[in-house]
Amino acid sequence: MKKLQRITRRETEITTASTSDIAFLLIVFFMLTTVFRTEMGLKINLPSAQATERIMKRRNVAHVWLDNTGRTTINDNLLDLNGVMSVARSKLEDNPDIIMVVRADQDVEYGKVTDILESLKDAGTLKITFATEFEMK
Amino acid sequence: MKFRERPRSSIKIPTASLGDIAFLIIIFFMTTSIFSREKGLKIVLPEKGMEVKIASENILTISVNPQGEVLIKDAVVTIPDVKSIVEQELANNPDLVIALRVSRSAPYRTMINVFDELKLAKADKISLIPVKEGS
Repeated sequence: MKKLQRITRRETEITTASTSDIAFLLIVFFMLTTVFRTEMGLKINLPSAQATERIMKRRNVAHVWLDNTGRTTINDNLLDLNGVMSVARSKLEDNPDIIMVVRADQDVEYGKVTDILESLKDAGTLKITFATEFEMK
Repeated sequence: MKFRERPRSSIKIPTASLGDIAFLIIIFFMTTSIFSREKGLKIVLPEKGMEVKIASENILTISVNPQGEVLIKDAVVTIPDVKSIVEQELANNPDLVIALRVSRSAPYRTMINVFDELKLAKADKISLIPVKEGS
């Protein structure tokens, strides 16, 4: 009988030393791009619109929340119209490019919305966006 | 003087789990970050005291009454028709300014639907008329 020749096995190794470098690179990417959710907001159903556009600059955005009972909050503080005006004015001082996003419930009376728009106009924050959901045709 | 040589043990820091820790942090950042979910209908309000007088023939007023009905030139229209009417009017008069007068007790949804139609009709001169309380 022929003698079986033993195959010499080479030890295979996958180098894992650089995985952490890749991982940390990804971490840095996420840390730089992330914007933390800072407010809870109110429970609302947004209206939907076909012409919905995206706002690209998240860092220039501030939200005004308005639910269907007419409560208004900014940064989770319940405010009246004067409060909205003063908060919007201080936000404008911090960031002149601020875009105020009005997140109002679809069933709220329009009068509440127009009051907020007037307060924002008084505060000088003129770039407004009505938050809507995208609606397909 | 003779120094005694210390026996040196080779020191190793295990780095095998470093990648695991890093990926854990990645997952944390991935779940907490929100990718540009901001969307809506844009409008730029006029500055206080910057009211411009516009010739009345260049204004098309669209009204929404408290029942949520939409009126153009005193005729009730359905919301999907607003786009074609505004497109027609804009073709006749490119300088047309659309004034949106919404009743205070009309639902916000109706106003957004009409505003959406105006955006779809490429009307870029839109004016929201503030309606004061009690009028």
